[in-house]
Amino acid sequence: MTAYTVYMEQLGPLLAEWSRRMGVFVPVQIQEALYDFVPWSEHEEIAWDYDVAYNSIKRHFFPPRENLIRFDAAACTATPVFEAPDQLLFGVHPYDLKAVNQLDQIMEGGAPDQNYMRRREKTVIFALQPQRVAATAFWGSMGSGHVDIGFDLFWTKISPNAFYVEVGSPRGEELLLACGDLPEATLAEREAARRERTRILAEARGQGLKYPWEETPRLLARNWDSKLWRHKARRCLSCGSCVLVCPTCYCFEVREEMDVDMKGGTRFREWDGCMLPSFALVAGDHNFRGQALERYRHRYFRKGKYIYDKIGELGCVGCGRCVRACTAGIANPMAVYNELWEAEQHES
Amino acid sequence: MSPRQANFSPYVPRPATLVRKERLSDMVSLFAFEPDDGRSLAHKPGQFIMLSMYGVGEAPFSISSPPRRQSVEFEIAVRNIGTVTNALHELEVGQKVGVRGPHGTFFPVQVFMGKDTLFVAGGLGYIPLRSLLHYQLRHRDEFGRIIVLVGTRNPQERIFTDQIAELAARSDVEVYETVDVPDAGWKGNVGVITTLLPQIRSLQPDNTYVAMVGPPVMYKFVIADCQKMGIPAGNIYVSLERKMKCGLGKCGHCQINGVSACIDGPVFKYTEIQTLKEAV
Ligand SMILES: Cc1cc2nc3c(=O)[nH]c(=O)nc-3n(C[C@H](O)[C@H](O)[C@H](O)COP(=O)(O)OP(=O)(O)OC[C@H]3O[C@@H](n4cnc5c(N)ncnc54)[C@H](O)[C@@H]3O)c2cc1C
Ligand code: SF4
Ligand code: SF4
Ligand code: FES
Repeated sequence: MTAYTVYMEQLGPLLAEWSRRMGVFVPVQIQEALYDFVPWSEHEEIAWDYDVAYNSIKRHFFPPRENLIRFDAAACTATPVFEAPDQLLFGVHPYDLKAVNQLDQIMEGGAPDQNYMRRREKTVIFALQPQRVAATAFWGSMGSGHVDIGFDLFWTKISPNAFYVEVGSPRGEELLLACGDLPEATLAEREAARRERTRILAEARGQGLKYPWEETPRLLARNWDSKLWRHKARRCLSCGSCVLVCPTCYCFEVREEMDVDMKGGTRFREWDGCMLPSFALVAGDHNFRGQALERYRHRYFRKGKYIYDKIGELGCVGCGRCVRACTAGIANPMAVYNELWEAEQHES
Repeated sequence: MSPRQANFSPYVPRPATLVRKERLSDMVSLFAFEPDDGRSLAHKPGQFIMLSMYGVGEAPFSISSPPRRQSVEFEIAVRNIGTVTNALHELEVGQKVGVRGPHGTFFPVQVFMGKDTLFVAGGLGYIPLRSLLHYQLRHRDEFGRIIVLVGTRNPQERIFTDQIAELAARSDVEVYETVDVPDAGWKGNVGVITTLLPQIRSLQPDNTYVAMVGPPVMYKFVIADCQKMGIPAGNIYVSLERKMKCGLGKCGHCQINGVSACIDGPVFKYTEIQTLKEAV
């Protein structure tokens, strides 16, 4: 795979050039110990060592609210709405990229979701090797420390002023060389990048599951009736925060609004979540998951089994966002899976 | 529109015009539509559409008419229970709606050929089963016995009463009907739908296929009784309705454990869902 060396001082002109072509988003510190992606400008200081971004990047392909069709209510005709701006997400960590790759599979499978796919096609992703592991993260143990696909470039900081940059696509390479040729990376630089990756992976593996992640679907299959679900769900506020912050959650509600002239209107989708009480509620007041216990358990099964049964990966990448988001302190998949695992060790 | 077309979106319905409307009970009416583009839905029995009342919303409804070659008309029968269904009941002949679909799995007609079919219709379950039933009646020679069990909460809520009476009068269809709660005029069976099963004469379990649709509480009991009668689990087909928002396997609302009722269902062979905790 082609790789280049890029020096810090070369970045300014490149970022300026990229942002002439498309919206560029970078991670910055927005508060003490809080980072998020914001539109790049030369005044923004990129947080190269951010631990986790507050929001997941799914909102760039799957916005919290997205128009699907425009309709004429009298004629009953409708046309699709596609909005897909050119954008570059610079600094995406591998676990978040893994989540994007998972969304890609799900949205493209079956009846392809054109709204998602169009946005995705217009999005350039520059991945970034993390330098730190968030206290709440456990991606190292979830098989999310490394991704092979989905990025246009993969950046690893190998010294205070240099990056080792792997090319993932022709589009990425073209953007990288947009301000002129760059030197190809040397073997020593490749080795430096590998060392950095190994170091951070070792650190990340230190916090996480107490068993191999591949066991999770079977662990769950044995624990449908565990007491843990009731015990934990008792404290659940059914607020839905854990699913809204999650980079792999993609459930949505569909609603519509008429224009003020009451002739035309717009149908749109909005993020929804299985932890919200009305999620499986149908007319006649029948609720297919009416109890907090059922919703709570569903989320862990979805993350740890159902998605795995579909695509062979866990539906949780271990970013830890839900851990922070839950005021009740019960949304941590790692803690739940470990607890189930440990309970079994004591039984046997 | 085909996916190859540049502007294709699976969320765009096509217009259809109401050509007939018929009251079936206090709450339920039948609606017949013709797609404005003149193209048939080409559905199979058990499939459903997503119907748009623009400005109000979209909701799933089973296609109640059988597949037809001669006409593009299709029928749904709808209980007036909420916002979309209210708006639909206000609709007059000549007015239009939006339609997506057909969506979902269907009853495998080929599998039922040459076999006896036991229809178990609880409440509104008769609506989707009617598509398969009428298909079988049209191709009567290709199927064995047709046994129809109909269960309704009370006599006022019975639907398709004339059609069911016609069926009962036929010598080549066996109809059994019951209500949970009778009124003064009711002369038939009283009791839940499972009480009809023992009344069926000389059922041949191995040669019988079951098609079952009803309220969520019904399935477990009917399936258990069918199995007690010796009908193999693999001969039992159920249609499971859940909340549905997209019909495309994306929005997550219709999940039964890890299965999406809108694309993996609504029609399931019982053996496919037997181990799912949230299914029946
Ligand atoms: C596969 C399938 C087939 C169905 N076939 C029929 C039929 O043939 N006849 C019939 O009368 N009803 C049928 N239903 C139920 C019908 O979809 C609901 O009664 C209808 O959605 C209620 O919509 P509403 O807007 O009037 O009610 P509201 O309570 O106002 O519902 C608002 C929204 O919630 C959703 N919703 C509410 N109830 C249901 C439900 N039971 N199932 C799915 N989504 C729901 C819908 O998206 C609806 O737009 C079927 C449901 C499914 C899933
Ligand atoms: S479940 Fe929590 S830790 Fe796992 S991917 Fe979602 S937000 Fe991150
Ligand atoms: S688990 Fe926590 S974040 Fe999720 S719905 Fe319950 S209280 Fe809210
Ligand atoms: S209705 Fe949206 S996934 Fe089934």
